[in-house]
Amino acid sequence: MSLAIPNGLDNTVERPGERAPLVLGETTYHDITEAVCKVAERPPSKGWIGGFLVAFALLQMLGLLIVYLIYTGVGVWGNRAPIFWGWPIVNFVFWVGIGHAGTLISAILFLFRQEWRTSINRAAEAMTIFAVACAGTFPGIHVGRAWLAFWLAPYPSLNLWMWPQFRSPLLWDVFAVSTYGTVSLLFWYMGMVPDLATFRDRSKNKYRRMAYGILCLGWSGSSRHWMRYEKAYAILAALAAPLVLSVHTIVSFDFAVSQVPGWHTTIFPPYFVAGAIFSGFAMVLTLMVPARKMLNLEKLITIRHLENMCKIILATGSIVGLAYGTEFFIAWYGQVPAEQFAFLNRAFGPYAWAYWTMVSCNVISPQIFWFKKARTTPWIIVVVSIFVNIGMWFERFVIVISSLSRDYLPSAWAYFTPTWVDWGMLIGSFGLFFTLFLLFCRTLPVINMAEVKATLAKQEHMAHLHGHGEEAAEGH
Amino acid sequence: MSETKIETTVHGMMAEFTTVDSLLSACRRIRDAGYTKTDAYTPFPVHGIDKALGIKPTALPWICLIAGATGTCIALVMQIWMNSIDYKYIISGKPYISLPAFIPVAFELTILLASFGAFFGMWALNGLPKFSNPMFTDPRFDRATDDRFFLYVDASDERYDANGVRNLLADTGSDYINEVVEDDSPKEVPKPVFLIWGLAVAASLVPLICILTMRVTNSSKPRFHVFFDMDFSPAKDAQQVTSLFADNRSMRSDVPGTVARGQMEESLDMLTGIDVEALTMSDPPRVQRLVRAYMLADDEAKAEEKEAVEAAEAAPASVMDTTPWVEKNPLTVDAELLAQGQQQFAIYCSVCHGMDGYGNGLVNQRAQSINAPTWVPPASMHQETLYADKYPDGKLFSTISNGIRKMPGYAGQIKLKDRWAIVAYVRALQKSQNASMDLVPESEKAAVEAAVADAKAELKRQAEEAEKAAAARKQTQS
Repeated sequence: MSLAIPNGLDNTVERPGERAPLVLGETTYHDITEAVCKVAERPPSKGWIGGFLVAFALLQMLGLLIVYLIYTGVGVWGNRAPIFWGWPIVNFVFWVGIGHAGTLISAILFLFRQEWRTSINRAAEAMTIFAVACAGTFPGIHVGRAWLAFWLAPYPSLNLWMWPQFRSPLLWDVFAVSTYGTVSLLFWYMGMVPDLATFRDRSKNKYRRMAYGILCLGWSGSSRHWMRYEKAYAILAALAAPLVLSVHTIVSFDFAVSQVPGWHTTIFPPYFVAGAIFSGFAMVLTLMVPARKMLNLEKLITIRHLENMCKIILATGSIVGLAYGTEFFIAWYGQVPAEQFAFLNRAFGPYAWAYWTMVSCNVISPQIFWFKKARTTPWIIVVVSIFVNIGMWFERFVIVISSLSRDYLPSAWAYFTPTWVDWGMLIGSFGLFFTLFLLFCRTLPVINMAEVKATLAKQEHMAHLHGHGEEAAEGH
Repeated sequence: MSETKIETTVHGMMAEFTTVDSLLSACRRIRDAGYTKTDAYTPFPVHGIDKALGIKPTALPWICLIAGATGTCIALVMQIWMNSIDYKYIISGKPYISLPAFIPVAFELTILLASFGAFFGMWALNGLPKFSNPMFTDPRFDRATDDRFFLYVDASDERYDANGVRNLLADTGSDYINEVVEDDSPKEVPKPVFLIWGLAVAASLVPLICILTMRVTNSSKPRFHVFFDMDFSPAKDAQQVTSLFADNRSMRSDVPGTVARGQMEESLDMLTGIDVEALTMSDPPRVQRLVRAYMLADDEAKAEEKEAVEAAEAAPASVMDTTPWVEKNPLTVDAELLAQGQQQFAIYCSVCHGMDGYGNGLVNQRAQSINAPTWVPPASMHQETLYADKYPDGKLFSTISNGIRKMPGYAGQIKLKDRWAIVAYVRALQKSQNASMDLVPESEKAAVEAAVADAKAELKRQAEEAEKAAAARKQTQS
């Protein structure tokens, strides 16, 4: 059956005293199953194959570049004194930031009972995990001798005779990012198990059935299991909510705990977290708007879902803008010459082009979302979300490069120039991200069917109550 | 088709419903009829079903709490032990146990372990993974994960009676009721799965076999160097010339202020050979200089101290040495220490002072034979002025460490404890040349006497042999 939105049905209109429907049309439970499972069951479209080939080729390029880097040494990058952090760290912070939306949608919006999260949380969580995988690549190769990256772990080493230094934010970062990756993976997988059971039960092919049977751990849908499962889900959400806030806080400590002008500020943790949510939602929108069209999921991922995410973009974008202003205010108010220079240098120095790109993309472009027309028009959403992605990459570029390139010692100042390897790795990391995301679309349930069905059941229940004016019959 | 009779076991009765409401009302009917071993199977969590079925709350939150608390404890103990006890880091003068710095990792590990508790605890309480379930034998049950709701009454329930349950369920409005049976025929895993599994296991062994083979076989080809400049580092050897430094030497001295590992572990007495407590009374500025030179690795103080020691040596014999030297070796003198001292003496001292300590080592012999004009003959250890009562252990140690006249200081070459071992050995060497049997304890006397007799006999035999050989030589010459 067709899942196009019936003409005239608009769930972005607010009706007082009534909840807007989150699943559109005369949809049944079975329709939801069909719509989601078909995404993985039907033969791959030409668009998917083309996209996958491109993404996979870029991934191969990333792999070859990493081999080239390890074989030759970190000199192949543009990292030079005094800018030793360079693009790898810019890319790391960028990808970690992207990886914040998924768990935020799953955990924090779950705790706030924002039911519109149900249609988008699965894809957003998948995106989180793939973004963390991209993020983890960069510090791993940035350590120089990548084959010794395991020295970060606190293990009894017979070569070093020493332990990691637990007062260093860089080590906190190792723990934060790996914990975040692990917990996000558990959360994502646990949420997927009932849907994997649906995949299993729909499989005609014996091997496919067996593979999904193993993946879903023999899930049967027993009410006892559901009860513990929901409890575990709520606990994981409650644990992941502070975790997601802690991760970018700790990433910001990498900068804020140092003495470099422009980094050594207490505003960094909230500023980084807001920026991470901002960039994460932008990436979710960049992916979901085309995906809902191509995968025929417009009835489940409705315009209302997109509009809500645009509102979050507008809010977090404005917070980020406020943070940019506050940084300047504190630099002036603090009366530290090095700080004052650092910020003037950002806005009017050799990296002014990057700074103003960042401000236009992050602060000015989302302001269009004050208009409802913009929040509900998919192509505008995609364009703005791509602007935000670019702007957030430049934000990290400005923070890392402009502060390092001109710090206390003018004789050591330098201008950073990326090499072709820097460019290749940035582009290649998108290859890794999209390869994983496209594989996910073809093999795993892209929407949380069980939760959407529960939302539908509730929606029908409410409609039933309104229609008949009866009290809820909750038993004894 | 074969006619084998398949044994079946009845597990219970299931009924299918199409809506949540009909399932809930059926659940209440079944519960009110007194059935307890019941369960419902639904494609999504149904609100209120735990009440309708009488399901008890879960202990999962407690598991999480315990796991989370374990995470906190592990993180704190790990960080305090690693950074404050086992390997102390001094960071910006902060206390070794600086809890605020340990919060982030403690927080992360708490979350991590609590999440493991929630995730693994939930599967364990649910008895999953469990791939075989009698419900799965009914093809209609496939829709339990799609759009159908199933109510199930277990056959082990006290009130279970096939017809009674069937009637009750039919009464609740279910349009499909079926007995859940599981046939006891063996469940076969398809053969290709075993094939793939076997291939995967075999493939995973290939790298291991390769490594093991390479470890036991020889190859005539040179090793492949992945990182050539790491295997053959361009580092200079000790005596080579380099263009990196103005003086063209590749051998560099320590950076000023370097403190080697283990250097700070010993007392100042042991480092200098001077009784520092006594020196505090007589010469406090010198104590300060010693602390700077030896404990703080201050090179200026070291140079001053060296000058002072040299000046004291150069002073005429009439000037009394007022330094309160350590009288007794601070190490426990036993056979082991003497053996250690003997070994070090043989390596470093005997070349000049001779193995016997009479000052006629190979270097001295050579210097005498070529009449080296600047040669100062090494002292004999066996002069009375060098005995312990005139030349205390601490002074001897200081001489070994700092040098005297033409002899350089050996502090840079010989380890601290080895220098003290040499002091102990020199004392033994001095005694050996004019020792009386009174010094030997009663229990050892017999053994020593026997050894002396053996040694004398051996010497005599060697002397006779040498005589014989000389006589023989004379004969052949004449």
